[in-house]
Amino acid sequence: MGGFLAGVVGACAEAWQEVRIHKGRVLLSLIGVAVAVCALSGAVAMSAIAQQATIEQADSAGGRAATLTMSMQPSDSTATGRQQATQAWFDVLDRYEISYASRVFWGSSRVQFPDSVQEAGMTVVDQPYGEMHRTRMVEGSWFQPGDSARLAPVVVINTPFWESLGSPDLATHPTVTIDGLGGAKAVIIGVYGTSSWDTWPSMFMLTGHFESLLDPVQAAGSMPQYEMWVPPDLARELQTRIQAELSGAVGAQGFVSVDRSDWGAQMDDPTTILRVITMVIGGIILLLGALSLVNIALVTVRQRIREIGIRRSFGATSGRVFFAVMMESVVATVVAGIVGVILAVLLVQSPMVSELVSFGGISDVPPFPASAAVFGLVVATVVGALAGLIPAIIAVRVKVIDAIRY
Amino acid sequence: MSLIELTAVTRTVLIPDADPLTILDGVSLRVEPGERVSIVGRSGSGKSTLLNLLGMLDLPTTGELSFEGESVPAMKPGRRDRVRGSNVGFIFQQFNLLDGRTALENVTMPLLYARGPRFWGRERIAADILDRVGLGHRLSALPGSLSGGEQQRVAIARALVRQPKLILADEPTGALDVETGQSVMTLLDEIVREENAALVTITHDPAIAARSDRHFRLDRGVLTVAEGAARNAGRADEPVTDGPVADDAVAVL
Ligand SMILES: Nc1ncnc2c1ncn2[C@@H]1O[C@H](COP(=O)(O)OP(=O)(O)OP(=O)(O)O)[C@@H](O)[C@H]1O
Ligand SMILES: [Mg+2]
Repeated sequence: MGGFLAGVVGACAEAWQEVRIHKGRVLLSLIGVAVAVCALSGAVAMSAIAQQATIEQADSAGGRAATLTMSMQPSDSTATGRQQATQAWFDVLDRYEISYASRVFWGSSRVQFPDSVQEAGMTVVDQPYGEMHRTRMVEGSWFQPGDSARLAPVVVINTPFWESLGSPDLATHPTVTIDGLGGAKAVIIGVYGTSSWDTWPSMFMLTGHFESLLDPVQAAGSMPQYEMWVPPDLARELQTRIQAELSGAVGAQGFVSVDRSDWGAQMDDPTTILRVITMVIGGIILLLGALSLVNIALVTVRQRIREIGIRRSFGATSGRVFFAVMMESVVATVVAGIVGVILAVLLVQSPMVSELVSFGGISDVPPFPASAAVFGLVVATVVGALAGLIPAIIAVRVKVIDAIRY
Repeated sequence: MSLIELTAVTRTVLIPDADPLTILDGVSLRVEPGERVSIVGRSGSGKSTLLNLLGMLDLPTTGELSFEGESVPAMKPGRRDRVRGSNVGFIFQQFNLLDGRTALENVTMPLLYARGPRFWGRERIAADILDRVGLGHRLSALPGSLSGGEQQRVAIARALVRQPKLILADEPTGALDVETGQSVMTLLDEIVREENAALVTITHDPAIAARSDRHFRLDRGVLTVAEGAARNAGRADEPVTDGPVADDAVAVL
């Protein structure tokens, strides 16, 4: 099909020449298309980023799909009773082969900072917690599986905490003195990122270390929360079973409740409305851009009737004229589309906008979603083809003998 | 086999609120390969209409039109366009070069509709023929910056770049002064002879008409042989219409 290739290459060459010659007119229409494509792909990208941010926040608060959260209060509230209840939970984990599970205990403790002693948040968890909540590390790392066997307690602190300590290099094994835990010195092994509005210093500590440091009297307080990350399709069944099995373990006066807490996955896509609105606005801009493009293309094609007649008299078939005129629009809008996508990338990646769309929830900007870029280019091509359709039909209808009469 | 043949061709156009207008009336004409034919006639006599038929841009209302023995009206439109593209070259009175395109781009244009080596080697082929018409040094000149004679030479190069079998020239010297017109025609004659193409020239100028092998006159849509044209060559003051008229317009030599 050498003839076909020559035809396609020829039509593109023709279209490119045309765009080059009418660059003034074309440029005008292209600005509209570029702006529209920028708006559309920017909207898609921003919505994707916002969605990602929302999911990240939901996950870090409620756990990933599907997370079962259990509260348990045994009848026997002594240390032994609590230990038995916890053991019953461990048995359940073994039986159902749930490897991602963590106790979670929220509290706070006084900590020595360089200039003062302050109350800092403390969340006591088991090692899998980080994975279950997608805890985002900015320095060092999350707890390793063997860490609770370490003699010296280790902690993972948040960015405000780290900054209050003067951002020490983790390679130097900096420590922090926790007054609330009998002045224990804990080694900082990691720093996790927080929302920009969350400025309270807080830290994570492993349950094992916490219990060994805790004064037994203090320890008589409340029970932790128990979290399990399970396959979503088994969540309902496991929920009922675990509830039933542990009800037996806590005794008659005890209390167990197992619930799904991963509200991020449960609720409807929180960005749907945002996305619909941005798409509608982008669509309107695109429609206006496309209309102006059609308008300019129509004016152009009318001015070119003589030229089309000349080309036809030198052997251009009507199919070829149709394709070439349509390609002019497509070549032009694809170029505009590329410009629009680049603009959208620059815009979305600009600190101000990314702060806005992520609600301050993600401090490092995720890369511009490829899907948004592809979407923008596809839209540009389709708009070019549609806008080129009407002038192409007019071009084909040109009567050669009338066009070359003078 | 004739290159192109019209047999009893009538061309009428419908005009709103009036009787149909007959532009060509029973025209028969045969053009053989390599032959040079001239057609003279008053303005409005139907010369351009006849040329459009010869160039397969238009179809007869009645009568037969065939190219190399194949009926032109029977061809599918796409095939007709391709047959035209590879066999016919047009030269217009107003040059009809594409504005904003260089001389080279204008001459390359017909090759965009060719295939194979001609398509892929189009720039070189176009540059060669521009060189042949003496414009090798003006390849990137825009039509507006060229003189009338130069523009018509670009148009000649464009008409010949696909080595067509038939060149149709509609008053090729109409927009040029006498001297430039003569030199352009001399060039055209030379190239047509080199390429062994047939040339049909429409002209008002008896001196231009005299360069042809056969001479016709078109009068209100009726084509007749103009025997006297050769004798009258160079005598622009004496109307060619005085020549004797043959009854049989199909004057095959
Ligand atoms: N499509 C059309 N509709 C109406 N009238 C037409 C049409 N085409 C041609 N005519 C008329 O037919 C006649 C012949 O036209 P044509 O262009 O062939 O003349 P011509 O001999 O080339 O004239 P000139 O020397 O001025 O170029 C003219 O009167 C013209 O107005
Ligand atoms: Mg005419």
